[in-house]
Amino acid sequence: MATGNYGTIRPADVSIDDVEIFYSYTPNRESLTTVELQSLDPAEVLIPANNPNNVNEIFGGLYTLKLPTSVFGSKGFYSIVIRPKQIRTTIQDCAVLVDNQDVKGIVFDINQIPLELQNRFENGNLVGYRIEYIKEQTGTGQDKIQNLFRIVTSNNRALPISQNQGNSNASQAYTFNDNSTSVFCTVSPSSAPSVKPNAIPFIGNPLQDVIITNTFFNPVMLEIEMVEFDEETLAYALFSNQTKSLEDGIYTIYNFGNQIYRQYNLYEVKDQFTGKPLYEVREQKFTIDPTKDFDDITNF
Amino acid sequence: MEYIRKKINLEYHTVRNIPKSVLIKNSEGKTVIDESNPKYYYGKIPDYKIDSEGNFILTPLGQKIVNTIDVTLFLTQDIDDMGIFTDEPFVPKSSQLTIKPNNFNSFTYGRLAGAPVSFYYTNSVTVSGYTDDSLLKQVKSYRKDSQGNDIYVPNLNVSNNPKDNFNGVIYESNFETVYKIGSNNSNVQSTGVEFTTFKNQFTKTVDEYGKSLSYNTTKFVSKNGGWNQYNTSLNASLKKEEYLGVVFKPEVDSAVFINRGIEDIFERHGILSEIKTSNDIDTNRGGFIRI
Repeated sequence: MATGNYGTIRPADVSIDDVEIFYSYTPNRESLTTVELQSLDPAEVLIPANNPNNVNEIFGGLYTLKLPTSVFGSKGFYSIVIRPKQIRTTIQDCAVLVDNQDVKGIVFDINQIPLELQNRFENGNLVGYRIEYIKEQTGTGQDKIQNLFRIVTSNNRALPISQNQGNSNASQAYTFNDNSTSVFCTVSPSSAPSVKPNAIPFIGNPLQDVIITNTFFNPVMLEIEMVEFDEETLAYALFSNQTKSLEDGIYTIYNFGNQIYRQYNLYEVKDQFTGKPLYEVREQKFTIDPTKDFDDITNF
Repeated sequence: MEYIRKKINLEYHTVRNIPKSVLIKNSEGKTVIDESNPKYYYGKIPDYKIDSEGNFILTPLGQKIVNTIDVTLFLTQDIDDMGIFTDEPFVPKSSQLTIKPNNFNSFTYGRLAGAPVSFYYTNSVTVSGYTDDSLLKQVKSYRKDSQGNDIYVPNLNVSNNPKDNFNGVIYESNFETVYKIGSNNSNVQSTGVEFTTFKNQFTKTVDEYGKSLSYNTTKFVSKNGGWNQYNTSLNASLKKEEYLGVVFKPEVDSAVFINRGIEDIFERHGILSEIKTSNDIDTNRGGFIRI
């Protein structure tokens, strides 16, 4: 017998429908306010690249995040989290299979899933999804059970079958049946280790709320620092065209496209009694003088 | 979670253009900017894309285009083999679908409830290529000509199960021998693999030991590729925890045949035990044994 497994890292070709995006903003690193996350619609801001040789084929891995300037146009720090979409639902039942009494699993009701997400619960489609659990008694602090998750290893539509236990009790087990709207999921880990045969791992309880998340890509966090200056803009002050109007003292710095980048008033402060010059001042001018257009000035 | 840091300069998204249409004369006759003009964006980042005159750029449908700061990123997925799945029987949905959903794909839909197994069939494809002439010997007759060469008789069925299958020559000429292996007796033309061994064309190659080989060039054609009723069935896939990460199920080996890695030390002797006639030397395992 040979055992082994393989693994690899591949460019993700996840559908935008399986993605969630959140962001937070802080004007500086010293902000004391708590992080408030806002959501973004992935369909509007995340665009997958297409293969240039096959236009209708996703390139894989490469996505463009189009951040609207109406939201991301301020100087400061934006933290953007791109993560797999979460589906919230309730465990319908926890049981075993009729034909495999040692295989434990959890059952979901497809009708409880939003219509647009129900195809994720078709036979075999949940394999690889992660399940996280909400505490059964909420409002006692943190609602989510932290550091606990299970991975779906198989899922099939299944029907409950009542099993007579030989006395007045009857237990319920499931058999695979495509007519059912219940889905039986096996998860891992769900079986006891050989060294502790009675230590069955927790896989959830009936009526417990869970969060089901796909694993189609690794979540990513971007910290985007919006700034006003970089080497290029500083070079405007050093190397770009400039004019100084001798008539009104307006000093204009242009960008490399000869558009007005900054304007300043240049003037002297003199002693009001003696007329002695005290200061030479360069003060930024916020109302732009449009007559200082570089092309107009130099077009003589 | 991957953490990416980027620094973006807002200056590159800031409008520095002053269109002539926003310039007016003030009471002193001096040219100034009409800052109340809706086309005046100097020093601002507009919410929608504008042209140099301050007009909104519109889509062909007349809609404004959201102004965006674009960041490219690369998303990846880590995957690991989950091991063996076990096929389990299931009760199919009583009301079967009759029409495939648009762009039906079993990888997208999974084992869709109500979808009959025929939804998973694909159109037959023809597979063709070239091989050696080792299978030709399987379809020869027992007769030989005056030079001692094998005689190939069209329509002579040399299958071990002639009641159901046809193995034999279907066409013979001075240039080629066309024969079928594994055809169904009821439809010899469309089933099985058709081989054409060309008598005057030879392929020369070198084996793994560097020895020169030469054989009659042989072409094969099979028209029954793809998923069909003979190789497709629907089962519920069940994961048993004990098979997590296991590539294939444990097998009980006999005490004699001890597998060491990928090669069995007794394999060659085992193969020789299968050889009953001199013809078997040529045909066993598709010409596996070379003399």
